[in-house]
Amino acid sequence: MNFICNFPFFSILLSLFSGTICSVLPAKAAKVVNRVVIIVIGLMSAVLLLYLLSTGESFIYWMGHFPAPWGNEIRAGVLEAGMALFFCIIMYLSMAGGAHKLPGEVVESKHNLYYILVNLLLSSLLALVYTNDMFTAYVFVEINTISACGLIMIRQVGRTIEAAVRYMIMSLLGSGLLLFGLCIMYDLTGHLLMSNIKESVGLLIANGEYQIPLIVSVALMCIGLCIKSALFPFHAWLPDAYGYSTVSSAAILSSLVSKGYIFLLIKIIYRVIGFDIFNSTRIIDVLFVFGLMGMIFGSLSAIKENDIRRMIAFSSVAQIGYIYMGFGMGTQAGMVASIFHILSHAATKSLLFIAAIGLTDVSGGSHKFIDLTGAAYRNKWAGAAFTVGSLSMVGIPLFSGFISKLLFAQAAVQVEGKMLASLIVLGISTVLNAVYFMKTVIRIYAYAPDAPYKGITFRDMKAYAVVLVCFILLNVILGVSSQPIVDMIGQGLAMFA
Amino acid sequence: MGPNLFVNYGEAVSAILFCIGFTNLLLQTNLIKKIIGLNIMDSAIYLFLAEKGYIAGRVAPIVVNGVTGTETYINPIPSGLVLTGIVVSVSVTALMLSLTIRLYTRYHTLDLDEISTQLKKEGK
Amino acid sequence: MYLILSSILFPILAGLFLLVRYRTPLSGEKPVDRQSLTAMAGCSLIITAIFVIAALFAEKGFTLFYLAQSLPIYFRVDSVGRIFSLLAVIVIPCAGFFSFEYMKHEEHESRYYGFYLLVFGVFNALCFAGNLITFYLFFELLTMSSMPLVLHNGSKEAVMAGLKYLFYSLCGAYAALFGIYFLYRNCGSLTFTVVDGALRASAITEHGGFLLVVAFVMLLGFGVKAGMFPMHAWLPTAHPVAPAPASAVLSAVIVKAGVLATIRVLGMFGTDFLKGTWVQTAWLCLTLVTVFMGSLLAYREPVLKKRLAYSTVSQLSYILFGLAVMNDTSFTGSLLHVLAHGFIKAALFLCAGAIIYRTGKTRVEEMRGIGKEMPVTMWCFTIASLGLIGIPPTGGFISKWFLALGSLNSGIPVFDVLGPVILLVSALLTAGYLLPLSIHGFFPGADYDYGSLQKREPCKLMTMPISILTFLSVLIGVFPFLIIVVIYLAATGR
Repeated sequence: MNFICNFPFFSILLSLFSGTICSVLPAKAAKVVNRVVIIVIGLMSAVLLLYLLSTGESFIYWMGHFPAPWGNEIRAGVLEAGMALFFCIIMYLSMAGGAHKLPGEVVESKHNLYYILVNLLLSSLLALVYTNDMFTAYVFVEINTISACGLIMIRQVGRTIEAAVRYMIMSLLGSGLLLFGLCIMYDLTGHLLMSNIKESVGLLIANGEYQIPLIVSVALMCIGLCIKSALFPFHAWLPDAYGYSTVSSAAILSSLVSKGYIFLLIKIIYRVIGFDIFNSTRIIDVLFVFGLMGMIFGSLSAIKENDIRRMIAFSSVAQIGYIYMGFGMGTQAGMVASIFHILSHAATKSLLFIAAIGLTDVSGGSHKFIDLTGAAYRNKWAGAAFTVGSLSMVGIPLFSGFISKLLFAQAAVQVEGKMLASLIVLGISTVLNAVYFMKTVIRIYAYAPDAPYKGITFRDMKAYAVVLVCFILLNVILGVSSQPIVDMIGQGLAMFA
Repeated sequence: MGPNLFVNYGEAVSAILFCIGFTNLLLQTNLIKKIIGLNIMDSAIYLFLAEKGYIAGRVAPIVVNGVTGTETYINPIPSGLVLTGIVVSVSVTALMLSLTIRLYTRYHTLDLDEISTQLKKEGK
Repeated sequence: MYLILSSILFPILAGLFLLVRYRTPLSGEKPVDRQSLTAMAGCSLIITAIFVIAALFAEKGFTLFYLAQSLPIYFRVDSVGRIFSLLAVIVIPCAGFFSFEYMKHEEHESRYYGFYLLVFGVFNALCFAGNLITFYLFFELLTMSSMPLVLHNGSKEAVMAGLKYLFYSLCGAYAALFGIYFLYRNCGSLTFTVVDGALRASAITEHGGFLLVVAFVMLLGFGVKAGMFPMHAWLPTAHPVAPAPASAVLSAVIVKAGVLATIRVLGMFGTDFLKGTWVQTAWLCLTLVTVFMGSLLAYREPVLKKRLAYSTVSQLSYILFGLAVMNDTSFTGSLLHVLAHGFIKAALFLCAGAIIYRTGKTRVEEMRGIGKEMPVTMWCFTIASLGLIGIPPTGGFISKWFLALGSLNSGIPVFDVLGPVILLVSALLTAGYLLPLSIHGFFPGADYDYGSLQKREPCKLMTMPISILTFLSVLIGVFPFLIIVVIYLAATGR
């Protein structure tokens, strides 16, 4: 077996153990370890991605050398490696962009705990991405939840603890449903490995046996993961959790954690149930409808919001709605669009969170719009970055948001029954997005000469500005040269089958 | 379906328990009751797994007296899953309880809605 | 290739440079050096104009890069584009020079000039765009870059107007994008064609009915930008709140993007496909309603700049009406009117700006005797007004002549006669809302206090652009042939 095939396993283990090591290190060293680990894992994922692109087929890695029905497995294809690479990039940028705020947000003695949580989160995300075993997926879903909860509550104010509790409750409901669905699935098929379950499900469908329990099990798993990724009616916990936690946490939570669950759902759809079987159930219609509702109601809530970070958080609800709408279309094109939107949204939303903190910093730390007047003049880099993020969210060409909307629309055009609904809601949601994002952009560029806050120059925030530039570049790259990425997603999905 | 329900009464009971736990976790406003709901929910799933792995007349998959024949023991995988699951649920419960303590020392109540109203009053 | 590219990129980069270099100072910083700012802006405008004029003669198209597979960003200069960019290259620098004087009494000049140049570059790109996706890209960017001009003075009213402008435009653009998706499926490519349409024959036979809906939605969507009823409400709100030279550009040039878009859409679908369908009928109805309603609203409006904005609503629908008739004569009329209306409306708005600048008067009834005070400005205003009404030998006459002729020859039942009738009524209304200004301006009446008159003529920097624009509006009426040749080329697709 090629040495590169060990990389997925190494990267999971590396982040897991570095997390443990961080607990005994001083804060500074923990920070270095954290950064280095993310970079190393990113590099490994990049090498793996190149390797997979060159071989053109996925591989399965036996954990502990037990063959299929008994052993635990890791599976790596183009999509998994690409996702891992992307997660590492976003996570590194988010950590770097929020680093200067950390001393003000978290007590000094808890800094290394923060890095433990980040490392654990990364490892659980990687495990969710790579694993081929349902029960392992469940365990790492829980680890993900716990570390995400830690990331929310490490900033010890009342609001975050309450948000963490609410987050935990919703997450536990979700993982309970997931576990129950998974147990029923295990009961029906007798397997825990994704590929084996898929074979048995195919047999069950062919023989017409246990149709109802099968649907119930799939539905339970779907709803569980929907709750965890904050699909529309289950989003109540989200604004507080994203709005009051530390900057890096908010960026990571909004762009990565929910995406990890969504990626797991994609894997379940493709690798456990089978894409065609999944599409023949009514579940996709439910996902579709909730996706559409999320797109509209998320934006409406965002419009009403008077706090910039909560506004961005609500916009996440809308964006998650987009992704589920893509699932609901039930076509390959819809799926590609959704996966592209995962990338595009992750890049944009973390940019927005990081840029917003730059703006609030030069406005006396207030999140209220009234105080943000003219903030873009006081912190030019953050202002420009926020504008780019907003334009991308609105779907202006040249930025990533436009491409994902284009892909969604192209996918929608191919589905007769859902075409009009999705195009109309896409349109409404675009306009609503424009309402609140452009309102904010105008607000931060409005001239406020008598604002009592001081501006900040490039010299005082070099690292921060570099991060913002990286984020902007990422957005533009996704927006301008999307074709290779879309091709890669298509290739990855083909490997899933 | 009717007769199946009676034959598989273990599964039916676990499903009912799951619903009870789920509703408690979702709807109770008292944090401790929520945590109890969580535990009921998780235990219901373990009951379901154990019920599925059990084969009448066999013993737990722990080798005693050197008997290694597969006919002696029940399916060990569900038991393994239950053990893993219990570990997970214990850690989650611990985390929830610690959060509850934090909230209680801050706001002197266990009622989540009341905490929310207090937070709104603080206005932060 | 480099000419086209530099005519697009140079003003955009120059605009960005101005925005960054001369940004509004924070409290405690030294103020912007106004002289160097205007010098920079002026040079950039002239250099851009030279680039654009050179680019007008470029022959070959080129693909800049691929946005996605089979979605190239493609630029090409064709005859339709030439006409629109000719309009831009004259009006935008003229209004720009006007604003060097005018903007003295406004703040944030650097922001104004920065976005002004951005708009110039984006509009050039729009004219030279060779396929729908490129066009759409710059259509959105045009909205984005022109919005700061609308909300320039930062008052609540202006910001609300800017937002209104943004939302109407985005709604329209989205409706258009909706159509682009379908065109993308049913056309071989999105590259513009002029007459024959790009739809596959099989697509027309299979879902022709649906494609008609798509065409209608696209026309409505792009019509938003051109202020077509029922989505016209943003225009009278947004244009008057901008500084006068910006309103001139908005009204004379930027709304023409909607017209250009409509021409492109017609080209994509092909006039043969749309002729005689309900889409044509509905569209004709909408344009005629807009023509009449715009004039009527303008007639009742007391604030001069708002009156001019309503007049824009009405006049643009003249152009759209000509396009909706869908024959060569009316097409010629439309394109002529694009130029004529562009020059005239820019001149009128600049006159209104000069009046505001020198006297601070905005309402029509305050302007009695203004002709005695600012004779050059008011003479230009009068000549331009005559042009807008359509009195020979001005440009407005020729274009309306062709419009009416085309309509009468079209053979569309009812509309072939109704169209010219409404155009005539609207012309009368136009006379009704523009001429009183000149009449009372020059002949304030016996009871007027002549003693209070003072010389208020603005400086050359303001009167020259107005005179040039007025002169051009007459010139295309006297010598329309050269332009008609270009338009003929445009109509036949070369």
